[in-house]
Amino acid sequence: MDFTLTDEQELLRATARSLLGNECPSTLVRAHWEDPSVVEPLWETHLREWVALGDGPLVDHCLFLEEAGHVLLPGPYFATSALFLPLLRALGHPSADVVAAGGLSGTVALAGLDGLWTTEPSPDPVRRFVPEADRVDQVALVLPGPAVAVLPASSLTARPMETLDSTRRLFEVEVPADVDPQPISPEALAAVLDRATVALAAEMVGTTRWLVSTSVQYSKERVQFDRPIGSFQGLQFKMVDMSLDHERAAAAVYYAAMTFDAGDPDRQRAAHVAKAAAGTAAKRAAKDAVQIHGGIGYTWESDVHLFLRRAYASEYLLGPSDWHHDRLADLLLGGSSLR
Amino acid sequence: MRLAWDPTDEAFREELRAFIDAHCPPQARVGKDFLGGDDEIIPDWAREWQATLFDHGWMIPGYPPELGGRNATPVQTLIYLEELARQGIPRSVHFGGYAIVGPSLLEFGNDEQKAMAPAAIRGDTVWCVGMSEPDAGSDLANLQTRAVLDGDSFIVNGQKVWTSYATVAQKCFCYVRTNPNVPKHKGISVLIIDLDTPGVDVRPLRQISGGSEFAEVFFTDVVVPASNLVGELDNGWRITMGSLAHERGGLWVEGVFGCQRAVEGLVALAERRGLAGDPAVRRRLAAAYERVATLKALGYKGFAGFAQGSSAPEHSYMKLATAELRRELFELGMDLQGPFGAVVEPAFTEERARWQQGFFVGLAANIGGGTSEIQRNTVATRVLGLPKG
Ligand SMILES: Cc1cc2nc3c(=O)[nH]c(=O)nc-3n(C[C@H](O)[C@H](O)[C@H](O)COP(=O)(O)OP(=O)(O)OC[C@H]3O[C@@H](n4cnc5c(N)ncnc54)[C@H](O)[C@@H]3O)c2cc1C
Repeated sequence: MDFTLTDEQELLRATARSLLGNECPSTLVRAHWEDPSVVEPLWETHLREWVALGDGPLVDHCLFLEEAGHVLLPGPYFATSALFLPLLRALGHPSADVVAAGGLSGTVALAGLDGLWTTEPSPDPVRRFVPEADRVDQVALVLPGPAVAVLPASSLTARPMETLDSTRRLFEVEVPADVDPQPISPEALAAVLDRATVALAAEMVGTTRWLVSTSVQYSKERVQFDRPIGSFQGLQFKMVDMSLDHERAAAAVYYAAMTFDAGDPDRQRAAHVAKAAAGTAAKRAAKDAVQIHGGIGYTWESDVHLFLRRAYASEYLLGPSDWHHDRLADLLLGGSSLR
Repeated sequence: MRLAWDPTDEAFREELRAFIDAHCPPQARVGKDFLGGDDEIIPDWAREWQATLFDHGWMIPGYPPELGGRNATPVQTLIYLEELARQGIPRSVHFGGYAIVGPSLLEFGNDEQKAMAPAAIRGDTVWCVGMSEPDAGSDLANLQTRAVLDGDSFIVNGQKVWTSYATVAQKCFCYVRTNPNVPKHKGISVLIIDLDTPGVDVRPLRQISGGSEFAEVFFTDVVVPASNLVGELDNGWRITMGSLAHERGGLWVEGVFGCQRAVEGLVALAERRGLAGDPAVRRRLAAAYERVATLKALGYKGFAGFAQGSSAPEHSYMKLATAELRRELFELGMDLQGPFGAVVEPAFTEERARWQQGFFVGLAANIGGGTSEIQRNTVATRVLGLPKG
């Protein structure tokens, strides 16, 4: 097993880091709160060409998404590359190549009234937690069977859900009565969901990295009692634990991505581990980052709350940590051996 | 990034497995969790097993054959550690000799001292490491055991404490103060002290687990030949820092795989006790699995850096996290036994009180070799770059 990046992967990461760092400042993220169309130029000029990562090795896609999470990238990139494209590919849908080439954006509507993304889609007449449903070209509705109907977004009624986090907009979509879905095997759907789960965990690792490194930086600069607050052991230990959680989650995400790329049988477990670890890390880092920043951390002006919001919102999307632990328990108890 | 190992490395693993199948004594296969306690401190089978490993080049694979190795690569060393740990097979029950003393003698000793290394690594000579003193634990540099040069001998007076294996060791790798007039870490030296020298008094200490693996060692006017000084006078601090470097990249392996075996045992325990359907138990087990899985991945990730030559202080993360996890996992094992968590009588407990014993070992893991707080201090200043408190 080798965690070192190839030269190409190093380049991919560096490119993503500088592209997203330059093009997606927090001013843009904040402006998106009021007017989601402000990210349109970024999507049009830069991001469409990166959608293809959703088709290739998951490690590469994670490298990009980690950087996206680090800047809280808003807009249709995640939904299109991590949900929509893999689902179309699994279906063998004719539009998949167009999506991969950046020609179409899309999202996936799966969770019913209970909000859970499972391989047994509910017969509920609505789909909830549908990312970016009003700004993409197409929506893949996942229906009981399981089966999938790919429809123009404009043909659906989408109601925005008011959410904690404004950087990933979520919608409730009505399921039309007269759709004619195409069947997909539960295994294929499970693989799509697991892949998306790891992809989301990668984003969360990037978000967590910002929270940890910003807290460390701030604590070196902020002086109280004539000392930088970062010299107080109470805060040091918090930051060590935040950073350890972050490192563990990052390692778990890339391990999971490697199992996907290798078609390894451990991949389902690894996906649950990655999301649960990423959620735990993100939540802890977010809470402690606010604490470490003191009063400043509780102001609207500070960026900390943007990251806090994204951290919690991502934790609850595609299954909270507890839910992933329950699925993991299903895999562990009942005779399967550990690796 | 890739999941698979190279075929040559897989062949290395196969060779090791074949060796273990052919030579490993059955007592070594029960897993390290069972060692210690009230049994003999170093049982005969353990001495023989260590010598067998050495003679076949499987003691420290990265070393040349005359030092118990086979010039293995770092990746192969990792595979080696992983394979032993996966099967729960110990290399030696006295870590100090092969992991600290042998390598330190080779790095810092004169020719005569270097020649003592093979016996230390093979386990023929049992060594203890005398660092801690009553007032010098975490603050190791505060040690007060005095050694005064008198002609061609040092005269040693003072006391060591919590010295593992001192009751069965022949020699002590002993940290002493040779200069009280300089900043405290600058006046420390290392002496080789034969424990049968007159004036050395070893008194076993009873441990929380009931056993007596460590001891107090008192020195009263002990005469030590000046030629037993390791490295330069007053420069012993360097040796503290330098020891353990040779395997640092793989030190996490044993801890993590020990935790993995614990989780496997916990799953089996839950099933046997009819708790496998309890939602709260299921969540705790899954969370435990998650924590082991993430640590294992982190260990491999850190090793990638190590194999490329970066000596990463991130390894403090691994010591810290595996020690804490171990304590929690074995506590979970006690919890899963319900009321029987309180007993150690074999008739009532699961697997010879494995969980109760392991919990105690977990407590020790958070103290010995630098406490978890000291590991956090190290990460804070050396990894995160925070200002010293
Ligand atoms: C099983 C076992 C085997 C051992 N074997 C050996 C051996 O073979 N040779 C040997 O030399 N020693 C050995 N030791 C001793 C061990 O290295 C020391 O116990 C350890 O370094 C801690 O020192 P201490 O016990 O004096 O605790 P102290 O240093 O007094 O610490 C007490 C508490 O204070 C905390 N503390 C201390 N300083 C700080 C700080 N700066 N910041 C935050 N918290 C702090 C500690 O973390 C701990 O919680 C062994 C110990 C055990 C448990």
